[in-house]
Amino acid sequence: MLPNRSRTSVLVFLLPPLLLYCAAVLFPILQSLFLSFFSWNGISDMEFVGLENYVRMLTADDIFWRSFFNALIYLAICLVLQLGGALVVASLLTSLRRGRELIKTLYLLPAVISTVAIAFLFVRVYSIDPVGLLNQVLHWIGLGSFERAWLSDVSTVLAAVSAPEGWRFTGLYMLIIYAALIAVPKELEEAAVLDGASKWTLFTKIRFPYIRPVWITTTIMATTYGLRGFDIPYLMTNGGPGQSSELLTTYMYKTAFTSTDFGYASTISVFIVIECLVAVGLILFMLKRKADS
Amino acid sequence: MKKLLRAAAAAAVAALALTACGGGGGSGDPANVSPTGEIKPREISWLLSRPADGAVINIMKKLADDYAKDHPGFALNLITTPDRPSYIQKLETLAAANKLPELFDTDATPFAQQLAKQGKMVDAEKLLKSLDIYDDYRPGALDYQRFDDGSLYMIPFQFELEFIWYNKALLEKAGVSVPKSLDDIPAMCTALRDAGITPIALDGQDQWPLERYVAYQPFREAGPDFVQKLKKGEAKFTDPAGQKTVEWMAGLGKAKCFQDGFSAQGYSDAQNQFTSGQAAMYNIGTWELPSLATGKLNAAVRDDIDFFTLPATDGSVTSANEFVSPSGIGMAVNSKTYDPLVSDFLKFALEKYPAEYAATGALSPTTNVQTTIPANATPLYKKALDAANDLGDKQAMPWDTQLDPTTNGRLQQELVLLVQGNITPEQFTKTMDATIKQNAPKFFK
Repeated sequence: MLPNRSRTSVLVFLLPPLLLYCAAVLFPILQSLFLSFFSWNGISDMEFVGLENYVRMLTADDIFWRSFFNALIYLAICLVLQLGGALVVASLLTSLRRGRELIKTLYLLPAVISTVAIAFLFVRVYSIDPVGLLNQVLHWIGLGSFERAWLSDVSTVLAAVSAPEGWRFTGLYMLIIYAALIAVPKELEEAAVLDGASKWTLFTKIRFPYIRPVWITTTIMATTYGLRGFDIPYLMTNGGPGQSSELLTTYMYKTAFTSTDFGYASTISVFIVIECLVAVGLILFMLKRKADS
Repeated sequence: MKKLLRAAAAAAVAALALTACGGGGGSGDPANVSPTGEIKPREISWLLSRPADGAVINIMKKLADDYAKDHPGFALNLITTPDRPSYIQKLETLAAANKLPELFDTDATPFAQQLAKQGKMVDAEKLLKSLDIYDDYRPGALDYQRFDDGSLYMIPFQFELEFIWYNKALLEKAGVSVPKSLDDIPAMCTALRDAGITPIALDGQDQWPLERYVAYQPFREAGPDFVQKLKKGEAKFTDPAGQKTVEWMAGLGKAKCFQDGFSAQGYSDAQNQFTSGQAAMYNIGTWELPSLATGKLNAAVRDDIDFFTLPATDGSVTSANEFVSPSGIGMAVNSKTYDPLVSDFLKFALEKYPAEYAATGALSPTTNVQTTIPANATPLYKKALDAANDLGDKQAMPWDTQLDPTTNGRLQQELVLLVQGNITPEQFTKTMDATIKQNAPKFFK
C-alpha cells in the first residue's frame, strides 16, 4: 500500500496519458459509432437512419463482403510470412556462429524503408512490360509459362500485394523472437539433449513453450497490424483490378474520402474495430487453452 | 480545483471566439460579385490541383507579386496537390469542415454543385461579366465548367484538346491506316498485335484515361446528353448507346488494344511506351505538346508522330470536330471570404493572365490572345493549336467529372475488369445500372 501522498502523485502522472489516450483513441471510436447511425456526406445535413447502414453493410453490399474475405486472405499471407518466416530465420540464427549481427541488420532493413518506396519497388518487381525482376527470374529458371502481369491478374494480385507487407516486417518479428530464443536457458537444452531429445522435440517441448509469452505478443501485434493493413495495397493497386485487392480498410477509406459517405464509412470502421477485438480475443483464447492443456 | 475548472472554461470560450473571428469578413452572398468597402491587403490562399512548376502556378505567383507591390501585406498562398484523387479528398474534407480557403479548384462535379447550391461559391458568370471579361472566354472553355443547369461557378485557366497521337511508321508496318470510325479500332489493334506492336499505351493506374474511352461511343451515338441522363438514372447501360459502348470496350479488350498489365502502369510509363516507339497510339491532350511536339521528343520517333481527332461513327449525331476539349480543373471563389480585396485581386489577375499564359505556348481559355509557338516546336505544334479554331459546339465531357463519386469509383473498377475480360458485358451492365440506381438519387435529388 502506497502512502497517501504518493498515491496522489501516481494518479497525477497517470492522468495525462490516460486523457491523451481517451482523446486520441476512444473519442474517435465513439464518434465513429455515433456517425454510423447517420447518412452524411460532409456538407449536407446529417440524417438519422438508425441501423440502415448496418443492414446495408451486412446484407446488401457485395464489395464489403469481398473486401472482408480479401482482408482475411491478406492477413493469412502476412502472418505466415511474418511469424512463420520470423520463427524459421530466428531459429536458424541461433545456430549460427558468425555473422549474426550482419544477417539481423539485413533482415531488419525493409522495416525501416518508407512504405511508399517499398510499394513502388514492388510495382517494378512485378511488372511485365517492361519486364520486372520476378518475371525475369522466372524466365531464367525456365518457368517462363508463369510469367504474368502479377498486379493486373485478378487471381494473383491479392497475394502480390500481401507479400511486400509480410516481407517488410519479417525482420522485425525475427528480432523479437530471436531475443526470446537466446534467453532460453542453455542448461535446459543441454539436459534435454543428454536425454536424447531430437532437434524437433527440443524445439516443441522446450524452446517454444519457453517463448510462448513473446509469441502471443507478436501474434497479436502481427494480427492487428495485418487487419489494419492499408498503405501498400492502396499504393500498389488502389484495390484493383476491380475489387480483387480491396481490403476493408481501403474500402472504408474510399467510402469516406472518395464517395464522401461518412456515415457508411463509419459503419465499416466500427466493424473493423470489432473485428480486431474479436481477433485478439480469439488468439488469447486459443493460446491460453493450449497452454492449459 | 474550482479555479482550474474556471480557467479551462475561459480557455474554451476564448478558443471558440477566436475560430469565429477566423472566418473573415466576407459577404457570403454568392450573387454579390462587387463587394463595396475598403481593400484591406492580407494573405489569401488558393487550394489547387495543378503541376507545382506549371505555367498556371508560375504566372499566378508572378501576378500576385506584382499586385503585392501596390498592396503591401497582400500575399497569395498557393497550396497545390497535383495528384487528383488526393486533391479531391482534401477538398471534400475541408468542405466538410467548412474550412475552404478563398480560392479552390474543382471540376463541375455533383459534389461541387451541392456546394454551389448551398451558396458557398461566388457566381462566376456574374463575376466575369462584372469584370467585363466574360465575352473574352471561349464558349467551349466556359461550357466545360458549367453545371447541368447551365450555371457557371468555376473560372477556367486552360484550354486543351484531346487527340489520339499515333506513330505513322508503326501503323505502316502493321499495314493499317488511321481509323475512319471508332468501330475500326478493335480490328486495327488485332493487326498491330499481329505485327508485334502494342496498339495503345494507356495509363491504367490513374483510371481516368480508361474512363475516357467509355465516353466516346455514347458521345457519337447519342450526343452529350447521354451521360447527363445516365448519371441521374434516366438513361441506362442497357440502352442502345450504353450497350454499344459496353460491347466496344469489351471488344477493345478482346483485341488486346492496351499494353499487357496496363492497370498497374502509370502516366509516365504509358508516355514512355509511346515516345520510345513501342506503342502505336496514345490518347492525350495538348498539355503534353511540350513533350510530344518539340525537340524534346525522342529523335527516333519525332518525324513519325502525328495525331487524329476522335473518329466519328456511322450515324453519329456529333461531328468530327467535336470531341473532348476540356478547360481543365476550374477555380471557384469562396463566397464566405469574398471581399473587396479578393475581388480586386481577381480583377487584376484575370485581366493580365491570358497574355502571360499564351506566351508560354499554351492555349488560353480566352480568344483575345495569340499563343506563342516555342522555338523548338515541330510542325505538329501549330497543327494542334490550329485545331482549336475549328471546333464544333458540342464537347464530350469526361465522365469522371459527371458521375457521382461512388458510381465513378465503381465504373473505374468494373471497366478494368471488362477490358481484361474478367467479367462479361452482361455482368458489367447489370452491376453498373444497379450502382447508379443506388447512388444517383443521393446526389441528384
